[in-house]
Amino acid sequence: MKLALDKYCNINSPIHNWEQTSKLVALLSLIFAFAFVTKLTLLPVMILVTVTIFILSKLPLSFLISRLRYPGFFILAVIIFLPFVAGKTVILDWGIFTIKQEGCLAVIRIVTRFICILTVSLVLFGTAPFLKTIKSMKLLGLSAIIVDMMLLSYRYLEELGEMLTRMQRAIKLRGFQSHNLSKRNLEVIADLTGTLFVRSYEQSQRVYQAMILRGYGSNNNGHLLTTKNVKIDKISWLFSGITVIISVFLLLAEIYL
Amino acid sequence: MHIPDGILPPYLSIVGYGITGGMTWYSLRQINREKNPQEKIPKASLLTAAFFVSSLIHIPIPPTSIHLILNGLMGIVLGYYAFPAILIGLFFQAVMFQHGGLSTLGINAVIMGIPAIFAYYIFRLKYLLGNKPFFTQVFSFLAGASALGISAAIFIMITITNIPAEIDANTEKNAILASLIGYSIQMLIEGIFTVMLISFLEKVKPEILNL
Repeated sequence: MKLALDKYCNINSPIHNWEQTSKLVALLSLIFAFAFVTKLTLLPVMILVTVTIFILSKLPLSFLISRLRYPGFFILAVIIFLPFVAGKTVILDWGIFTIKQEGCLAVIRIVTRFICILTVSLVLFGTAPFLKTIKSMKLLGLSAIIVDMMLLSYRYLEELGEMLTRMQRAIKLRGFQSHNLSKRNLEVIADLTGTLFVRSYEQSQRVYQAMILRGYGSNNNGHLLTTKNVKIDKISWLFSGITVIISVFLLLAEIYL
Repeated sequence: MHIPDGILPPYLSIVGYGITGGMTWYSLRQINREKNPQEKIPKASLLTAAFFVSSLIHIPIPPTSIHLILNGLMGIVLGYYAFPAILIGLFFQAVMFQHGGLSTLGINAVIMGIPAIFAYYIFRLKYLLGNKPFFTQVFSFLAGASALGISAAIFIMITITNIPAEIDANTEKNAILASLIGYSIQMLIEGIFTVMLISFLEKVKPEILNL
């Protein structure tokens, strides 16, 4: 299991140099503004903003395409399904199949919003180390329990993923064939999953003891991270300001246009 | 069973975040009431990662296969940690695999997380009946199957009623029926799987169940 979300976080680009806490606030506001857009006239603005942000980030296009592969099935399903079943105004009639105007417009709306939000979120999380993003969330007031859980879960995700791959390989080498659904196969898979839980639980006990030895839980290690310690440069303020203004513009345009 | 970005009307995203905010606050309040809340964080975190990884395991149902949701099991094992754990898991899935979405994170957490807390309460009913092995199996099944059933019901209700164009009533009815049949089979598998897994954990590492 290769996560590799932040493998391009060391590129030198204006978006990479944008301070992460302010970037998080600004781009999240943009993502939510995109989610609010339903008017077709605003879609070109969304596309233009997204393309500009993506070009500025200097992230490779192949990175974006590789990330679109999995949700691509969803997009494909929407494109195939909606134009035929949604709406009443027929624009093309092929006997059994009729393409409807409302369905086509819904497809354009959904797919544009989806790709724009996905691209902006990829820029947001792909242009800084993931741990820095989590720390920024803590600075913005996310609960310490959730932040600790996020950091620890993230730390062990790949390790447990590799553990699962090794165990799956081992049961295959011992003759397990998971091609059909049977009680025995289900039991083997349940035991495999249970073993993964037991191993992760045992590891968590060792991790906790190691954390205690390093002073975890002494209640004086949280004050170092405060918003006062964050230095936001002028360029980051400028980028944040422009992005928030665009978000507000999209919201107002959606309401009043 | 994750709703992606761009499909829901904006008000539902806000409602989703509102409910998720409330549920997270409630779960954290219950966690903070414990004697040493920090003690269980590493265990909950590693089990969160294990649950995340175990969603990659596929159960064969020829000619296809399904992946397990395990939100009922998460409720049983993690208790009040289950809601933040699911929220974290969904966030990771959204940003790492583009599965789900950031604007729909709230509503997806509602779909998966509330049934997990419900499963936790269902499983605890066995203690009222004397904690016998038979009741453990019965309530494991009910917890596993009902969590998935509730998640599926919320998911179907949200997607069918909010696809942003008028869908023909017959198509809508057929879609609901097909989804119900599919999820009923998965409910049964998930319930049986939860029974098997709880039996395994009771034999090998019973303290996991007392987290």
